Amino acid sequence: MSFSSLGYLIKEGFKNIWSNRMMSLASVGVLISCLILTGSAVMLTVNVSTIVASVGDSNVTTVYLEDELSELEAVYVGKSIEKVDNVTDATFYPKDEAILAYKDVLGEEVFVNMSGDDNPLPHAYHVVMADLSLYDQTVEQLLKVDGVNSVSSRSDVAEKLTSLNTLVTMMSFWIILALAIISLFIISNTIRMTMFSHRFEISIMKSVGATNAFVRTPFVIEGVIIGLVSAGLSIGALTLLYDAVVKAVQSILPFECVPFTDVMWGIIISFVAAGVIVGALGSWLSIRKYLKKEGNEILGW
Amino acid sequence: MIEFRNVSKTYSNGTHALDGVNLTVDKGEFVFIVGASGAGKSTFLKLIMHEETPTSGAIIVNDMHLEKLKRRKVPYLRRTMGIVFQDFRLIGKMTVYDNVAFAMRCIGKKGKTIKKRVPYILDLVGLKDKAHNKPSELSGGEQQRVSLARALVNNPAMIIADEPTGNIDPEMSYEIIELLSEINKRGTTVLVVTHEHELVESFNKRVVRIEGGKVVSDSKDNDTMVAI
Repeated sequence: MSFSSLGYLIKEGFKNIWSNRMMSLASVGVLISCLILTGSAVMLTVNVSTIVASVGDSNVTTVYLEDELSELEAVYVGKSIEKVDNVTDATFYPKDEAILAYKDVLGEEVFVNMSGDDNPLPHAYHVVMADLSLYDQTVEQLLKVDGVNSVSSRSDVAEKLTSLNTLVTMMSFWIILALAIISLFIISNTIRMTMFSHRFEISIMKSVGATNAFVRTPFVIEGVIIGLVSAGLSIGALTLLYDAVVKAVQSILPFECVPFTDVMWGIIISFVAAGVIVGALGSWLSIRKYLKKEGNEILGW
Repeated sequence: MIEFRNVSKTYSNGTHALDGVNLTVDKGEFVFIVGASGAGKSTFLKLIMHEETPTSGAIIVNDMHLEKLKRRKVPYLRRTMGIVFQDFRLIGKMTVYDNVAFAMRCIGKKGKTIKKRVPYILDLVGLKDKAHNKPSELSGGEQQRVSLARALVNNPAMIIADEPTGNIDPEMSYEIIELLSEINKRGTTVLVVTHEHELVESFNKRVVRIEGGKVVSDSKDNDTMVAI
């Protein structure tokens, strides 16, 4: 296809949108809704993941050592604990400190004979994990370390947040997939309508020897323009929407939201890519059927 | 130019449209194809344009073997022929000029070439003054001349006219065939499908008659005018 043709075909693509403006507007509307929903799903996932990660940081698992270990032996066990995969930090928690903590809570009298060598508590380590979803495997590894007796069970909050994170990610994935299919359907339907109103021109184009690529291009351009316009508008809408939601949430709960600028470029690139791909693919699919027809079949005569 | 070798066409609904047709049209010829409706004339044209493929037999058009022509080569076959339809097939919202230019744009011709070529062709068919009119503002005969201009503009080796006079009054019909005859004298092969007897009789051209899917007479073979 020559360069001069391309200019002509792009112009035709814009003309198609204008001559079919109600349907074009409708498909831009549907695409924007789909993209905003997709974007919201992404922002929710990002925020839940961030919260889970921050809870992970503050979440400390206590690893209890064997009773008879001396402080020096305990330090050696600590070295092995630090080497376990997924362990980012291990802080020694000596039994003397532990008993003091109990005394604070329960009162001096109960623990009167329990200091020094008579302390019944074991030495322990406070362990921080990088990824809480690997909790079970990490505990298994920790228990294999010589000198480790038991590991405290992790907090319920972390567990629930991790499963919530998985749930949100899964749901987002299916929502995005469903919306992508819907958008594809809507765009291809719009293009099919434009094509139907242009069937006469198409039949003439084919009879004078236009290639399929030539016939197809204005419609693909129409689809791509609809996709691009939708992407641009929904990025703007999503920015405003996210700001509003974050403000509302923060007025109730004081928690750190991921700033929109952190994910902006990712969203812009994927929205534009999604718009272009859905637009191009949608028109491609709807014109394929037309291009197989010949002569009067195109006109439905 | 056109060669049909024992060509048969049966549609999927069982209609035998053509049955063992053998026909050769040489370069530069002017041929009338006549026959009643349903005789197989339309199928004959569709096969030449490769809108349909033969059930059996071989078809050669402008050196291309149509029975084994690849789909993506079809546009290049169509560029070797200009087609004139009975119902003109002009785009109503375009001017006469744009309708003709459209055929050139469709095959990727440059704007400069189009600007030079279209007025020349419009002059040839006598419509220079109507270039900026819409088809609806023209008479039937004029519209058919626009259709002819569009068929000619890409300089095809062959013009195929399917009942070109079917929708215009007799006087204008005569003019259209005159014009086709004029174009033929410049070296373009012309194929006219029609069922208008008087028109065919008034021009001393080759006449091929199709009936029941068969070529029943060809004035070239017996060198006499076929009784119509």
